[in-house]
Amino acid sequence: MLEPISIDFAALNITTLLPMIITIVGALVIICIDLMTKELSRSFYTVLTMLFILLSLGTVFGFNGYSRGFFDVVLVDGIALIAQIIILVTSFLFIPLALGKRRFQEFAMAEFYALFLFMIAGFQFMVSSDNFILIFIGLETASLSLYTMIAMHNRAKAHEAAIKYFAMGALAAGFYVMSALIFYALTGSIEIHQIAQTLQARSFEPLVAILAGTVFMIGALGFKLSMVPFHTWTPDVYEGSSSALAGYMSIVPKIAGFVVAIRLFEMLIDSGVVWLENILYICVVLTMTFGNIVALVQEDVKRMLAFSSIAHAGFVLSAVLIGTTEANAGLFLYWILFMFANLGAFTMLWATRHRKNLWDNRYQHPFTKFSGMIKIMPAYAVVMGIFMFALAGMPPFSVFWGKLYLMSTAVNNGFVILAIIMALNSAIAIYYYMKLVVYMFLKEPISTDKDAYSSNISIALKVIIGFSVVITTISIVMIEPLLEIILNYITLSGF
Amino acid sequence: MDYILSLIIFFPLVAGILGFLVSQNSIRIYGISVAFIEFMLTIILWIGFNGNTDGFQFVEHVTVISHFGMNYHLGVDGISLFLVILSTFMTMIALIGLNIKKDVKNLIISVLLLEMTMVGVFLSLDVILFYLFWEFSLIPMLYIIGAWGSDKRIYAAIKFFLYTFAGSILMLVGILYMGYLYHATAGVWSFSIPDWQLLILPFNTQLWLFGAFFLAFAIKVPMFPFHTWLPYAHGQAPTIGSVILASVLLKMGTYGMVRFLLPLFPDATIYFVIPIAIIAVIMVIYAAMIAYAQEDMKQVIAYSSISHMGIIILGIFAINAEGVTGSIFFMISHGIVSGALFMLVGCIYDRRHTKKISEFGGLAISMPTFATIYGVMLMASVGLPLTIGFVGEFLSLIGFYKVSWILTLLAGTGIILGAIYMLSLYKRSFFGEITNEKNRNLKDLNGRELAALIPLVVLVLVLGIYPKPLLEPIDFSVKKMIVLMEKKAVTQEAKEFIVKVNSIEGGL
Repeated sequence: MLEPISIDFAALNITTLLPMIITIVGALVIICIDLMTKELSRSFYTVLTMLFILLSLGTVFGFNGYSRGFFDVVLVDGIALIAQIIILVTSFLFIPLALGKRRFQEFAMAEFYALFLFMIAGFQFMVSSDNFILIFIGLETASLSLYTMIAMHNRAKAHEAAIKYFAMGALAAGFYVMSALIFYALTGSIEIHQIAQTLQARSFEPLVAILAGTVFMIGALGFKLSMVPFHTWTPDVYEGSSSALAGYMSIVPKIAGFVVAIRLFEMLIDSGVVWLENILYICVVLTMTFGNIVALVQEDVKRMLAFSSIAHAGFVLSAVLIGTTEANAGLFLYWILFMFANLGAFTMLWATRHRKNLWDNRYQHPFTKFSGMIKIMPAYAVVMGIFMFALAGMPPFSVFWGKLYLMSTAVNNGFVILAIIMALNSAIAIYYYMKLVVYMFLKEPISTDKDAYSSNISIALKVIIGFSVVITTISIVMIEPLLEIILNYITLSGF
Repeated sequence: MDYILSLIIFFPLVAGILGFLVSQNSIRIYGISVAFIEFMLTIILWIGFNGNTDGFQFVEHVTVISHFGMNYHLGVDGISLFLVILSTFMTMIALIGLNIKKDVKNLIISVLLLEMTMVGVFLSLDVILFYLFWEFSLIPMLYIIGAWGSDKRIYAAIKFFLYTFAGSILMLVGILYMGYLYHATAGVWSFSIPDWQLLILPFNTQLWLFGAFFLAFAIKVPMFPFHTWLPYAHGQAPTIGSVILASVLLKMGTYGMVRFLLPLFPDATIYFVIPIAIIAVIMVIYAAMIAYAQEDMKQVIAYSSISHMGIIILGIFAINAEGVTGSIFFMISHGIVSGALFMLVGCIYDRRHTKKISEFGGLAISMPTFATIYGVMLMASVGLPLTIGFVGEFLSLIGFYKVSWILTLLAGTGIILGAIYMLSLYKRSFFGEITNEKNRNLKDLNGRELAALIPLVVLVLVLGIYPKPLLEPIDFSVKKMIVLMEKKAVTQEAKEFIVKVNSIEGGL
């Protein structure tokens, strides 16, 4: 006979779930409102979403340090908190992009905002757990919402992107489950810290099984992080979805993936088994080099940004490989700075979105579209130029500091070769970012029709662009406090 | 006077940003005024500079990122003082000589931003800050070459950018490794040059770091075989771009050598003296020969620049007071002379829209003033005694004579070759009868051009006859640096080398 389970409510420590509960409740509220009235404008839903995100963010700030809850499956530690903050802030900054001047079908539907909040909740679960099942639930909740949101853009390309993403994502989910299964079979546990203890206790035997589990996990996370060779979906999905969503996708799902990668791979790298480190080393180098080289030959700015985001992900993954506290701090620092530059770049693309593909049959944002932009819209060209140089890692703009910090941790921990590879990759990367600058500043304009570029510009977009350009340019003064906060959170969780 | 260095760095930046408000028709005078005020600021700096102390002066120090020891650290010494003045002076002259009409506002704002980065490079004492300015200087130059250049400007601009960026990104790894070593030794993070200068490194480490830094500087200078970007950049750039590129941007490379390679890695420097000197001699002779073969007047001067930079490098790697002081003086004189020559080519290009030497001939008849000024600058470039070009060239060579007389002799032939290509250029373009009728009615220099060129002529003669006001402060700082190198050297050979090249034959 089974023992009756009795659990004290207080022991559940339900507050650890509070940030997710708020976003889920927010999503439900939006659905309920939509049931009652269809009259409401997208601005209402956007602002309401922003408010729920803010509330959730407020509760995240309320935590300090390590707490477990909900049958010990939820783990709110430092990296969970910092990742949640990044996820929420990014979402807060991206959702106003719905308020462009042009009306898009998806933003008129309340479901979009509900899905958006569900997705955030999914990512929040994903980062604040070390339980394989809860991570999986979070991952799938977020991914399914995201697939739907991409398809809601309702263009042929968007449908293609959504289906492609869905099919690939389903495969990745399969990999994930296989990996979890192998680890469970090996250790009898689905909690990463217990797996680590058990494996440590028997000094990582049998190696073949662990290898299989790791490889499946790299496959699964590799899809989310668009690591080479699991990156093939990235450019098509970015191209098919709206720029706003593509920009979002280049940041938030990846930070969630990084957190899981940190939790899992650092445990494995600590094992001292050399080939684990080697596999990751190869993946890191391949990802950043391949992403950069393929980005060189792209003809569309959005596809170029997609490949460059692959390269950035590879760059940041080196922090997981290095695995010290400083490296992890570098990861978050880099990603925060990258977020602002990328937000700006994608918002600029979003602002220049035109109903028709005026410049090229195939692409929406071919490089030729931006020819001579300095003569047509000087301020926009300068701003876009700043974002490009920032993404390329030119000093003194934001991403440079992340690069500097990551490279310096690589050097400090004896990964000098890795640091040199990173440096060479930056040298490759400058070329394709500069290509856009060359088009904007040095070529003659094709058409001088201002409206072709500004059809989607609204106050909301201008505010977002202005905000990100300010942060990108003055980031030098933010590094010190940011690092202080990040290091504080990370040391709390002991990574 | 406490914050004068910050003022010098950020005044052009602020002025450049405010320049967006100035309307197109007044922007040229605005640019000149800003450059003049900036130049005056550096003159005030010179007046306030104490020539009898050897350390850094007007030091400013603010912590920016304590986690990796990045500070806002500025200072000036005899080595950097005159390069700063050169930067502001040449920017002012180049702006006075400017006669581009198309999008001139963007151009002037770019030049002002470029000016900020140039003085920033010379004044930074924190290496990260140095790197910031070093890299940022590429962006305005990319725009200047790419937007206002001639036909193949975009190719030239991209080549310039990629070459220098790729070179300096490895320097960044070197910088970070150096920071790590400092942290490992001293226990605190620091990227400040005075701190780094106290760090004694093992020989093998020095070799690697030397390589990382040297590559970046060698590309910037540019040294053979990394020089291929320079003729393109000069050939395509507008006059103002060439002037600034030749007179200041190239000096950033040689300045980096003096500031970083010599005091930070003395043993590695001495280990590499002979190989580098051989490359420098190749540069001198090879570039001179190519210059002789050029049909384009601007290319002749571009290659002569490479040739002269070879002698500057030779002087630096002489590691003695004469050589290093001479090469720093040569940086300044070459800045003035090559800037002036590029400006003169710009003057004739504006009139004839060609730079081909074969198109000219007998210009001295139609444009006597132009021919005179050109002649003076040419002589200075060749290194005629009593012109500014002689002092630096002579000191650099005399310095290296103590290291190796045979290499010095070979480098000396470069001077003879220099005289050959320069004089043949002058003969073919200026002397003889007017063969091309288009040249007959050319107008001589106008007021704007004279206003830009006459100060340069005066400087060429005055400093050629009496270079002491510049040489003395430079010498002070250089001597201190060489003493430091001698103290820091870890290998016996290096110590002996320094003593040997710094002593006069027969006695100490």
